[in-house]
Amino acid sequence: MTGSETPAISCRNLWQVFGDNADSALKQALSHHNNADEVSQALRAKGLVPAVQDVNFEVKEGELFVIMGLSGSGKSTLIRCISQLLPASGGEIRIEGEDIVSASKARLIALRRKTLGMVFQHFGLFPHMTVADNVAYPLRVQGIKRKTRRAKAQEVIELVGLAGREDRYPRELSGGQRQRVGIARSLVTDCSVWFLDEPFSALDPLIRRQLQDEFLDIQAKLKTTIVFITHDINEALKLADRIAIMRDGKIVQIGTPADIVLNPVDDYVREFSKDVAKGRHANVASVMQSPEGNSYGVDDPGLRRDMTLDAALARCMELYDPVPVRDSNGTLVGVINPADLAAALQVETDHV
Amino acid sequence: MSNALAARGLGKGALAALIAGVVGAFCLLFEGLWPWLSSYPNDWVLPASDAVGTAVKSGLDYVKPAARVFSTLMAYPMTAANTVLAVLPWPLLIAATVALGWRLGGGKMAAMAAIGLGLVLASGYWQQGMNTLALVAVSVPLALLAGAMIGIFANEFPRFRAPVQALLDVMQTVPTFAYLTPLLVLFGFGPVVGLIASAIYAAPPMARNVLLGLQRVEAEVKEAGVMSGGTRMQQLFQVEIPAAKVQIMVGVNQCLMAALSMVIIAAVIGGFNDIGWEVLLTMRKAQFGPAMLAGSVIVIFAILIDRMSATLAQERRRLWDGRISLAILLLGLVVSLVFWRSLGDPDSYQLLDPVANGLDSWLTDFTRANAELLTSFKNGVMFYVLLPLRIGLDQAILPFTWGFQWTSGMSLGFYAVAALVALGLALRGQLTLGVVVLIAAGILETGVSQLPWPFVLIGIGTLSWVAGGYRLALLSVVLLSTILVSGLWDRALLSLYLSGAAVFACAVLGGGVGVLSAVSPMAWRLVRPICDMLQTIPLFVFLIPVLMVFQIGEFSAFLAIIAYAIVPMIRYTRQGLIATPDEMIEAATASGATRWQMMRDVRAPYAAPTILLGLNQTILYAFAMLVIAALIGTTGLGQSIYLALGQADVGLGISAGAAMAILALIADRIVQGFAEERKKALGL
Repeated sequence: MTGSETPAISCRNLWQVFGDNADSALKQALSHHNNADEVSQALRAKGLVPAVQDVNFEVKEGELFVIMGLSGSGKSTLIRCISQLLPASGGEIRIEGEDIVSASKARLIALRRKTLGMVFQHFGLFPHMTVADNVAYPLRVQGIKRKTRRAKAQEVIELVGLAGREDRYPRELSGGQRQRVGIARSLVTDCSVWFLDEPFSALDPLIRRQLQDEFLDIQAKLKTTIVFITHDINEALKLADRIAIMRDGKIVQIGTPADIVLNPVDDYVREFSKDVAKGRHANVASVMQSPEGNSYGVDDPGLRRDMTLDAALARCMELYDPVPVRDSNGTLVGVINPADLAAALQVETDHV
Repeated sequence: MSNALAARGLGKGALAALIAGVVGAFCLLFEGLWPWLSSYPNDWVLPASDAVGTAVKSGLDYVKPAARVFSTLMAYPMTAANTVLAVLPWPLLIAATVALGWRLGGGKMAAMAAIGLGLVLASGYWQQGMNTLALVAVSVPLALLAGAMIGIFANEFPRFRAPVQALLDVMQTVPTFAYLTPLLVLFGFGPVVGLIASAIYAAPPMARNVLLGLQRVEAEVKEAGVMSGGTRMQQLFQVEIPAAKVQIMVGVNQCLMAALSMVIIAAVIGGFNDIGWEVLLTMRKAQFGPAMLAGSVIVIFAILIDRMSATLAQERRRLWDGRISLAILLLGLVVSLVFWRSLGDPDSYQLLDPVANGLDSWLTDFTRANAELLTSFKNGVMFYVLLPLRIGLDQAILPFTWGFQWTSGMSLGFYAVAALVALGLALRGQLTLGVVVLIAAGILETGVSQLPWPFVLIGIGTLSWVAGGYRLALLSVVLLSTILVSGLWDRALLSLYLSGAAVFACAVLGGGVGVLSAVSPMAWRLVRPICDMLQTIPLFVFLIPVLMVFQIGEFSAFLAIIAYAIVPMIRYTRQGLIATPDEMIEAATASGATRWQMMRDVRAPYAAPTILLGLNQTILYAFAMLVIAALIGTTGLGQSIYLALGQADVGLGISAGAAMAILALIADRIVQGFAEERKKALGL
């Protein structure tokens, strides 16, 4: 996260507090305490609910940033802060460098018309409009002519595979089709920052997987910056460039999928990765040892550092001695013991 | 909560009952010594209604010029609507209605419109009917507009939501007649008063439904509107209002029905040749055949308006082929043109007069032939139920009525039996019930209308405390005290007695029918259309049949109130009982419960909150009807309001109306409180 270019989204010391006079209470608590936990305690003592506490992160342009947490962890509140559906109680949110907490109403409307798009868990479709009218609505509010907006809507409707259903009403569609409409509507303005609030959680597993794959295709085409909310660790690992794990309103860890699976910062995060098939998400590099001082046997199953653990283990099934790991040029970069490989893959049981 | 209290000795209910019982006993024991305990002395009455009258009148004087201008302005659309409906030939009007019926509901609705309006034409009340419709046609747009604006306003400014809701509550609980007096002073005699009253009365249901609809729009749909980049106006009019359409249409339907009901009630002012006036006139002349006929015209209008507008609120409504509608309209036009000269005055089509006269004479014969039976039924209910309740056993039991004289010895014996029962219950651990039995005995001995005022204040106060805590108790006591000091106390107790008796009867009868309908689908098939019918008929019409058979008096009023107020009790009881989740039924069946055990242990407790809400509705309906029933002879607040209207006595009208609203409000809050508590206990 170095570099001088402005991040697409940055949040600094972001707070969202619910209750009477929450904003002033937060200001007061912040001036009295230095530590976020103490601030939260002070707020709770007043009967207020700090739903998002001192959140800091940056999302690079074109990055797919997943926020994961259980229900009640504050992830939905957080995304509503960033999209300004809820005015944040305190802190700073910048989108493409622009401070949007202090933005005027008119500026927010303009941002939503050009820059921001959002997909909702329960789709949020307008029940009185057809598919085409739903998708074209963000253009309609801008006063764009009917013909032009229909043409543009048609493009995205085709992109999400709903061609031929333009004149249906939401109630006539299946859950998966409804969410396709939601996705199309959020894309119709060519947004550069895309919020998705648990978009696939309300769908059954088969449809969910299908939509995840299509979503990755769309993302590969459009390269928008994405903030994606989910409570499903497998979904997070499958889609994310980076994952932020939230608990009780705080972000407890931010990292790549492999980081989260192999180096959980605490038991809470470990608990999540417990049932995860790590072999698919972690690579050889994360468990190998350095070549210095570690000998290896005669067998060379041809391990590469970016191989997944599953693939590596498949090649070492019959082996017991340590084996070499090489890069694409054949240079030795590490040594790995097949026993360690197997151990890393084991679904963790409770440990003290 | 109640367990914790019980552990400390007494439950909340038992404590409340004990306090009320002790106050009541104290009042009864010492009323000889301090007579002010039993009847509130006149010297303590503040001249509140006079003061209110003067204050309001001087206030009204300020607005009067503006009101008169408004009145003049409103006369234009009214005259216009009147003229249009009067000038258009009836074949065209009928064709237009039938065409609309077809468009909204297909052949069934078209046939309904044709038959309905055909009957209206044949009744000879076409002109009066059109005059009523003209009033509705002008007042409804006013009410819709005002209601929608209030609803949107409350939605946009959440901090005003609570006060607006309270205002709507008041607008709907203040009895309909009570509106009329100040409006009469303000706008002068004439149909405009009925117009404004009906707009005021019909706006709240619209406002409520608009607000409810807007609030019920899914949060994510609203958020999608925001994220699409709409301005607030765009969000409201392009997303939220269309998404709330079904609920708003429910409001339109209720608004129409309320407007019609009020327009007819407003006919008591007179001066406008409409159908309500016709009913009143024929009723006063005891011409029950024509009264029935005119009443049927009102019922036909009500049914047509209700069923047609109800299609607007259907979730997935379809419109029927518009070309057929157009054809029907054309046919009407052609018929009107071809037979222009021979159409004549629609009022001359008095085809149903023989029916009316036949009905009239049949009815006279019937009442004459069965006079003995009817009188003994009426007297039975009066002497053995209503009178004891009203003036107590000690005064109601006379040789003339019961065949013997009630003595103080009997009183003592009566109390002794009650005390024994109470003691028995208390020993079995049901202290609350025991004390309630004792209190009930006291009320029966004294009579509701002669209850000592400290007992009523404390009793209702403690009941409020049990239902809704200290705040509700305080509210009840303060509001009741205002009635006490305004000098309307005795009349309020009379109203309380009559509506109480009617509500009790509704609860027993309606509850029974509700249970039956829940158990037997056959019974429900029979009961349901009757309920639908009773709910569509405007209040006013209920008076005609009871008056025909039982003449003017408290008993007729009692019956009319029951007929109107019983419906919610039936509906909610059935609804509550059949809504038990299947899983619970299956669990009970698997545990081996019999049908009766299932009803008692599973269905009834689960239905309790719903049934309480039904009771709440029944109480409010009973209060509404009580005022209308003043037309056929009740004592109490309703009568005061009606008298005030006749004398244009603003002070009395407003005070009595407010007292009525206070009673309704307190009853509403108490029952709602109990319903909430039951809901919480069930985790709903």
